[in-house]
Amino acid sequence: MKTPKFMRADWFGPFAIVVVASVGITIFDRPFLSPFNIQILLLATAVNVVVAMSQMIIIAIGQMNLAIGAIGGLAAVCFAGLMQVWSFPPALAAVAALAIGAAAGLANGAIIARTGVSAFIVTLASLSIFKGADLGITRAQPFYGIPASVKAFGNATMFGPIPWLALPAALVIAFMWRLLYRQRIGRYILAVGGNASAAELSGVSIAQTTLWAHGLSGFLAALAGVMLVGRLQIGQPSIGDDWLILSFAAPVIGGAVLAGGHVSVFGTLFGVIIVAIITQALVIFQIDPYFVQVVLGLLILWTVGVNRLRELRLAGG
Amino acid sequence: MKDSGAVRPHEAMTSGARARFAGAVLTNEFGLVLLILLFGMLFALGTRGFASPFNLFTLGRIMAINIMIGYSMMVVIVTGGLDLSVGAIGVCAAMFFGWLSQRLGLPLVVTIPGALAMGAALGAVNGQLIVRSGLHSFIITLATMSVFFGFMEFVTRAQAFRGLPPAILAVGRMRYFGYVSPLLLVSAGVGLGLSALYRLTPLGREMLAAGANPAAAELSGVRVKRVIVQCHMLAGALAGIAALMAIARTGAAIPSMAGDLGQDWLLPAFLGPVLGGALLSGGRVSVLGAFLGSALVSELTNGLLQFRVGEFWVQTYLGLLLMAAVLIDLARRKLVARLGVAP
Amino acid sequence: MLRMTHALIAAAALALALVPAAHAADATRVALVPGGPHPYFAAWEKAGQDAKKDFNLGAADYRVPQKWQLSEQNSLLESLLSQGYNAFLVFPGDPVGSNATVQELTENGAPVIATAGCLKEPTTALFCFGTDTGHSAYLGTKELIKAMGGKGRIAHFTGFLVDPNTQLRIDAVEQAAKETNGAVKVVQVIADIDAPGPAEEKINAYLAAHANDVDGIITTAWVPAVVASNALRRIGDKRIKMVAIDHDPVVLKAIKDGFVNGTMLQNPYGQGYIGSYALDRIRHGCKVKKDAPFKTIALTNRFIDSGTVYADKSAVDNYVGAMQAITKTIFAGFEKTYLDCP
Repeated sequence: MKTPKFMRADWFGPFAIVVVASVGITIFDRPFLSPFNIQILLLATAVNVVVAMSQMIIIAIGQMNLAIGAIGGLAAVCFAGLMQVWSFPPALAAVAALAIGAAAGLANGAIIARTGVSAFIVTLASLSIFKGADLGITRAQPFYGIPASVKAFGNATMFGPIPWLALPAALVIAFMWRLLYRQRIGRYILAVGGNASAAELSGVSIAQTTLWAHGLSGFLAALAGVMLVGRLQIGQPSIGDDWLILSFAAPVIGGAVLAGGHVSVFGTLFGVIIVAIITQALVIFQIDPYFVQVVLGLLILWTVGVNRLRELRLAGG
Repeated sequence: MKDSGAVRPHEAMTSGARARFAGAVLTNEFGLVLLILLFGMLFALGTRGFASPFNLFTLGRIMAINIMIGYSMMVVIVTGGLDLSVGAIGVCAAMFFGWLSQRLGLPLVVTIPGALAMGAALGAVNGQLIVRSGLHSFIITLATMSVFFGFMEFVTRAQAFRGLPPAILAVGRMRYFGYVSPLLLVSAGVGLGLSALYRLTPLGREMLAAGANPAAAELSGVRVKRVIVQCHMLAGALAGIAALMAIARTGAAIPSMAGDLGQDWLLPAFLGPVLGGALLSGGRVSVLGAFLGSALVSELTNGLLQFRVGEFWVQTYLGLLLMAAVLIDLARRKLVARLGVAP
Repeated sequence: MLRMTHALIAAAALALALVPAAHAADATRVALVPGGPHPYFAAWEKAGQDAKKDFNLGAADYRVPQKWQLSEQNSLLESLLSQGYNAFLVFPGDPVGSNATVQELTENGAPVIATAGCLKEPTTALFCFGTDTGHSAYLGTKELIKAMGGKGRIAHFTGFLVDPNTQLRIDAVEQAAKETNGAVKVVQVIADIDAPGPAEEKINAYLAAHANDVDGIITTAWVPAVVASNALRRIGDKRIKMVAIDHDPVVLKAIKDGFVNGTMLQNPYGQGYIGSYALDRIRHGCKVKKDAPFKTIALTNRFIDSGTVYADKSAVDNYVGAMQAITKTIFAGFEKTYLDCP
């Protein structure tokens, strides 16, 4: 019995869950699909999808990036600080923050590529370095002086319930899809993740690919940090502290293989949406908030279990 | 507690005595001891409070806790895995201890083993999930850290246990000779036990073999799956000990003791063993190295605070230290290989 | 001969090192230590600086633990003691968990005052000096009920669960609602949201789903007050009444614009200023009066109220003046009321 091709795609499972969950919740709680609530969901999703993409590109290459939150936090406070303390115009401050993120990522990538030390250790160390810098610069106090235009961008809507924040998120999704499936560097990334030695033998430079991937990851983490400053309306040094689980959960739910070489852009998107829906549902139904963690963890276990079964079945025949 | 992989240098390659000296000096452990002494002198001379009995006492106490956390991660790294849930398991064991002591009023002889048993049980869950699914321990423990912590918060409603038996706080405050905390002695003792495990017992050797080359180990009769479950159980029990020590320090079992999801323990958990020379790929262990690594990190944190470096920059320095240590170790290994002194 | 010279040099060096130490031993060096980074305590920094100047203290430094974690605060306190601080104003990271460290401080000769949050008795801290948070929450809820016209449903957004004040506030709000004999009910309590991320997420999620089910909001923590003020501004219809806490500029502007009805002001500046003063007097021989007119609250029976006041639209512009007046009053009578001095 042959399942239709699109149903076997990575993104179909998570997409189905999103649809079922939304319908289910709406039956019990009418305002769930109200424009206001859609706006809230999109605001949450927009930032988280960029975070997830930041990690996804590193998963694609078969590594892990523990420093995403720290880079995001550092970029966020630099963005806010440049505007408040040195009166940078928002656009310039944003560019500077993104450059900082990319540089941080490139530094990680360079060390990994040059020394061969595992990405886990390198990003664990850089996590501390950047987090410490973040806290040191701000002395753990947020920057309050955020220009009104930034606050508006982070909260206002374009048309209907669609917030402005969804625009950069959508651009990132489109960019990542094109990168991985249409551009050469994207294919290299997936190749190195899938089988590094084979990739090297066919002429792919692992060092360069690593650099590209980490630089991009840092850039995206910084972008998420900047977006979050707009949404929260302050430059909060603790931005990024809780990104670790989400950054792995969403790609994994979306079908990514941790060993590398296989990720799904749209699967990751739906993974992020699922997490947002679960978080909201727990508040709506007044389920104990601590349950979010349990559900997230079980969800990860379940999806990797399912992915694994699929892997084994594919390998078996 | 010597490096488990240390082998006498080839005497044919270089003159015997010089090679032996190089072999000893170029070990990771010696480097750590040197750094500890160096920084110790720097801090003692440069600040007024570092060398005071009170500070050395509190430093020793914190060291003891960090060393235990490091051991918990170390036993998992040895078999080539990672355990992100050390903090979560520790907190669960602590809260279970609190519940047994305060709600059920059980005596310490029951509650302490009870806490360790809880840690081991949660570790077993990790181990079983890992071997049955064949998935990398990173993602499994990433998930279980959420599940364990969330479940604990749900069950305890995030309320701390504040009515614990005074004996446990008394242990935290005891001082031998004005400087040494009994907690530090416990950590040292556990270290000796772990050393003995890896050098003398078949189980320990099996763990090393499973980490170094699981396929080969399986072929030579090691039941790799069972060994992995056992090492995770051991890690859970060690996390439990660390958590009990943390309780001894404050006298209360607080759900936020290791941060959100227990993730505040991750950095000390890795710093100790990695500085101590453990390879993330497994198969090598240095219990003494992990001890010294955690000690160095605790000493640095304490000393930097004394120097008014600014509480917030301490993390940056620790990160730089980790990076430097890893790079230096890499260079050291290359140098050792080139000199022909055995690894 | 050489050895003797070495010994002499060492002795001289030691003596030189001790001399400044001996000098410094007399001066009171206060450390003001909150539970973690939080805008409420920002006033402590200025309060310490002013106290140092006004009372000629050796130091009155505001030192913050990196994050809201008991072990961080404990390590910081231990380190500060070793660095030479000999008097402490501490916001307890945990009402019981902090007691062990506080005891170590007092055993080493440093007086400690629990500030803005209390330690659970028995404790070696001198007393607790802070807002009567339960009472403040009670008053605030009463004001909210008045604004709501005496009936309706209330949502309560409050602070960290590890904050000893949180449970007091939850109970007080519940109490005020109970006194209306069923006319007013507390339909939702969301705690542990005294940080921008969780506050924004949970408050927005709640209002998105249940805005039509509440008539009033009471916030008893700084960050939720800010987030809820912004949320009500976004909703825009001013139907939901709100009483906030503290004096964040966002909250004050929301009161002026009519989205929030008023706020319960606390007195962080007074806590830092008067607390430093008290520590200095204690170190110069004063003792706490055994029969001083302390208040009794849930955690302790040695409580001194640092003052709270409700500021609505008319009072908002001069909130600083109001708090300064309270500080001046408390300060004027403090030594006479609470201390026995030689």
